[in-house]
Formats: sequence, structure tokens, C-alpha cells
Amino acid sequence: MTKFKFFADFDKEEKWLGKMAEQGYQLKRVFLCYKFNSTQPERAIFKIDYRTFKNDQDFLDYCTLFEDSGWQHIAGTKQSGSQYFKKTGPEGDADIFSDLSSRAGRYKRLSYMWLSLSTAWLPLLIIMLTSDWIRIGGFLNPKTLYYTPGLWEMEGLNFWRHFLFETPFALFRGFLVFFWIAIVLLYAFSAIKSWWLYRKTLNENI
Amino acid sequence: MNRDKNLPLTETVYYILLALADPTHGYIIMQRVEELSNGQVRLAAGTLYGAIENLLKKGFIIAVPSTDARRKIYVISATGKQLLYADYQRMNHMLNITSKIFEKEMIEND
Repeated sequence: MTKFKFFADFDKEEKWLGKMAEQGYQLKRVFLCYKFNSTQPERAIFKIDYRTFKNDQDFLDYCTLFEDSGWQHIAGTKQSGSQYFKKTGPEGDADIFSDLSSRAGRYKRLSYMWLSLSTAWLPLLIIMLTSDWIRIGGFLNPKTLYYTPGLWEMEGLNFWRHFLFETPFALFRGFLVFFWIAIVLLYAFSAIKSWWLYRKTLNENI
Repeated sequence: MNRDKNLPLTETVYYILLALADPTHGYIIMQRVEELSNGQVRLAAGTLYGAIENLLKKGFIIAVPSTDARRKIYVISATGKQLLYADYQRMNHMLNITSKIFEKEMIEND
């Protein structure tokens, strides 16, 4: 089964995965969406860490440390960031973190990731806003989005041919910039949200 | 006197450095720390991994060649030993000065 869902809060995501397991859906893979296998319903504890790794060796060492201490790595790759673990037995630790600063640290790393994504999209946005191949106010006066000389004086089939040909480019000029702004703002918002969760977790009492 | 800005060490870091007097891998570190601290300090996997990463970055521990491809082996470095000893001396001073003051008080109260 496939589920599309977005979580900013790891604690909520962990609880949701536990509920899914209780209903007989075992997490198999996470890439853009959650993939589940149908299994026997069971009570299980899931925990999520956020880390990326430079090489396979580091990743393997990381997964082995968790396995040694009773946590099976069930989803996540070297570069995916979110690492999903399932508690394997009744003995062992109840959590993958034993202090607040490391519990909170995963949100700090997540926040830096969003921030770097946001800043990666920013230079192109500035180029768009300062160059004239994008028109910010273009949607107010759509005619200015069309650059074909004499287009608005053409008639009949000749007009429609040129008009329809240029329409995709005009849409691009008029609206791409808004899409771009939305992406940058979305990433920036996610960075702030993660940072807020980082501060909140630091101030929690166990 | 200028003190190392890494001092005082947290209880966790102190015990990890102590556990790495002999080279070993992550899970054994967890067990040694629990033993050394009389069961007072229990490290979870995610917390230990972050601590190891941080200590490696600061050069207080180093990775040594491992025969086990799945588990990296670490050992305390020379600067790590210096730091651990400095923190030991710091705490030792605290213990000495405290017992001195307590003893003096007890004599006066007699």
C-alpha cells in the first residue's frame, strides 16, 4: 500500500508508523511516499533519526550500531536523511536517544538541509527578478508576455498559429517566477519550522 | 589561568573517553560506559553515534583499522587523554577543596 503524507514532526511520524503497524501495515520503503507491506497486525515501536552519510562504510557502521543495540534499520538510504528504525525485541533501550540535545539534534540537521535547499534556489530567483526574460506584473497585462513582433495586428489563422505557439513561453514568463518564489518560501518555512521544533525539544523535560 | 574551553566534560563524554582507553567499537562502548558508571549512564544508539562523530571531529578520539567491515573501531587520542586528565584534575581539586572545608566546619562545630 502507498500513502502520501508529510510530517514536520518526527514524534508524530513515529506514532503514525506505530498505528499503521497495529493495523497490519509494515513500513517497507520511504521515497516521496510511504510504501507498506501487509502483515500481521502488531504492536511495534518506530523511531526516526536524521542523518546523511559521506560513504557506504559510514552508513553500514551506523546501521550496525543500531542493530547491535536492538533497532532494525527498515527504511532510509545513505543520502535520504530520514533513517527509520524498528525496535526488534522486548529488551534494550526504549528510545534511540538518551538525552535531549541528541533528540533535538535531528531537527537541527533537518533545518540546515531545508535552509541549504532554500538558498540553492535563491540565486536563480534573483536572476529572474533582475533580468527581463521574466515579467512580474505580466499577468496583469497578459499581452506584454508575448514577444512576437506585430502579433496583435495579425488576423485569422496566422494570428492563432503564432499566438498558440508562443503561449507556453508566455505562461513561463508570467508565472514561473511565482512557482519559484513559492518553492523558496516553502523551503524557508520548513527550515524555520524545523528550527522551532529543535528549540522546543531542547526545552522539553524527559 | 586559561582553561580549555572543552572543560568541564559532560558525564557522557567523560565516560566515552574513559571507555576508549582500549580500542573498541560502538556497541562495546555502550556496555563499558554502563559498567564504568555502575549503571548510571546508559547511552542509546543515536546519542552515542552523535557523540562519536563530535569527538572524532574535535580529534579527541581516532578511528583505527578494523577487521570487522561492519563496525568501526575507535581509540582515545593523545589530545583526548590530555583533556580527560585535565578534567580528572579539575574534579579532584573540587573533591579536595570540598572535604577540606567540610572537615574544618566539623571541627569548629564540635
